[in-house]
Amino acid sequence: MPIYDQGYRPYEARAPLHQIRFWPITREALRMILSKRAFLGLLAVSLLPFIVRAIQVYIVARFPDAGRVLPVDGRLFGDFLNQQIGFTILLSIFGASGLIANDLRTGAILVYLSRPLTRRDYVLGKLCVPMALNLAVTLVPALALYGVALALAPDQFFQWELAWIGPAIVVHAFVISLFVSLLSLAVSALSRSARVAGLGFFGLVFGLEMIRLVVQHGFNRSEAMLISFQADLKSLGVALFGLADTELAMHWAAPAAVLLLVSLACLAILRSRVRAVEIVT
Amino acid sequence: MSDVAPPITFARASRWYGPIIALNDVTIAIPPGVTGLLGPNGAGKSTFLKLAAGQLRPSQGEVRLLGSPAWGTPALFHRVGLCPEADAFWERLSGLQFLTTLLRFTGYDEEECRSLAEKALHQVDLLDAKDRKLGGYSKGMRQRVKLAQAIAHEPDVLLLDEPVAGMDPVNRRRVIDLVRRLGREGKTILVSSHILHEVEAMTRQVMLIHNGRILAEGDIREIRDLLDEHPHTVSLRARDPRKLAEAIVGWPTVLSLSFGSEGEWLTVQTARPDDFYGALPEVALQAGVTEMYSPDDDLESVFHYLVAR
Repeated sequence: MPIYDQGYRPYEARAPLHQIRFWPITREALRMILSKRAFLGLLAVSLLPFIVRAIQVYIVARFPDAGRVLPVDGRLFGDFLNQQIGFTILLSIFGASGLIANDLRTGAILVYLSRPLTRRDYVLGKLCVPMALNLAVTLVPALALYGVALALAPDQFFQWELAWIGPAIVVHAFVISLFVSLLSLAVSALSRSARVAGLGFFGLVFGLEMIRLVVQHGFNRSEAMLISFQADLKSLGVALFGLADTELAMHWAAPAAVLLLVSLACLAILRSRVRAVEIVT
Repeated sequence: MSDVAPPITFARASRWYGPIIALNDVTIAIPPGVTGLLGPNGAGKSTFLKLAAGQLRPSQGEVRLLGSPAWGTPALFHRVGLCPEADAFWERLSGLQFLTTLLRFTGYDEEECRSLAEKALHQVDLLDAKDRKLGGYSKGMRQRVKLAQAIAHEPDVLLLDEPVAGMDPVNRRRVIDLVRRLGREGKTILVSSHILHEVEAMTRQVMLIHNGRILAEGDIREIRDLLDEHPHTVSLRARDPRKLAEAIVGWPTVLSLSFGSEGEWLTVQTARPDDFYGALPEVALQAGVTEMYSPDDDLESVFHYLVAR
């Protein structure tokens, strides 16, 4: 009769644990999202403005006089990134709405958290999904555009006075991507249905923008821009890249504070909702 | 023997949700081998398992797993397998993808993940269906793939929440055999169920839980004696329930039969569940039994009896 060891050994992993423990979550989710043709189509459409702007740079490089109508300087990149905010929202609706909602519905969150993962790893893994998608339509094309500008108009862009554009692109692209990703993930964590979460996120972002437009134009109140996340993000671009936009004429600190507060609220939602066991009292 | 400390210990552990006490001042040590956690629905079984699995923080007291606090030690989960009650996971993944994805968290490389996943699928007899999407799996297959993900990384501690619920008799038998084998190999397995005979097929060591308290622990035979007075109810879903009824109506173990309203279900009352379950697989195969469960009325009555004593 076999006699088995009835005790236990101190903890000793059989295989080295992942350095980046959340990576399998991100990888699998991205693989699933990018396997959908419609989503790839949306991603491709999001990159069309890059092509338009690259053509603009090319035209100005070939015909410098065109620069008076289509200036190729910091404003080009600011406008481009502000334009991409809409695409990050669309990508997050279709790519991130179900990330936590589906796990809450199916109970898969318990399976994740019974692995050598913390709740922080789980949230990071999920957050990296919309972040990767959003950076792919903000940071990557903006830096590529900067590269195109450097290649086609080196005389203009190798000047020290325009050296700030590179870091400004990185900062603005990260702020846009991180905020939109956090918001979409928090909304996803508030629902057990990807559809409801998607509609909720759409309603929240575009609804607040509608209210801003009505209040700002109807009652001529410039502070109304603070209630729209899109306007808050755009006003940071205005400040960073020196854009002229009379609608968003407010010191950047106020919208930055709103975005920071909303981000903290999103983290609080994620902290309370991401649990292996749903506690109903 | 390197260490004889019990792998799972509860020391005056309580857990409450607002004003509701789910687990009340439990002190218990669970030894290696298979232990059944028996109790009717709402008794506190799932809370007990989730505390043991480190998925819930005790409101009071301490729960230790393999010598470390169960809560807040995620590195420990490398050696723990949890088979939860819910079974609606990633519908678009195949069985193999599902397992390899989860195995990646434990640090294995691609090749090891695949090999361990296939081994686990083989153990639960799902290797042939490894490339099918989980969305197309039957209830029993989902149960088995859920068990496969719990055992795939070869953990030392297995926590199984109703592991054979909804399975057909043949696969139920397979899973019970697998659990028993893993228990004999020295793994610590805690199986929760509301069906005494299901647990009895896996182990003799049981704990009875009711209203958040451990009522009794020890050998199942003592509890069985109490059950003999109570007829046991089994519900079977079959392609041809009338054929099934014809085949079993004459058995001396069968007290009564009734058909469900949807026409697919047959409900049987038996006085000798062991004999009934023993004879069932052959007939169940012929009649195409796809699902089987036992309501917890029987166990509930035993608990009422125990509490009243």
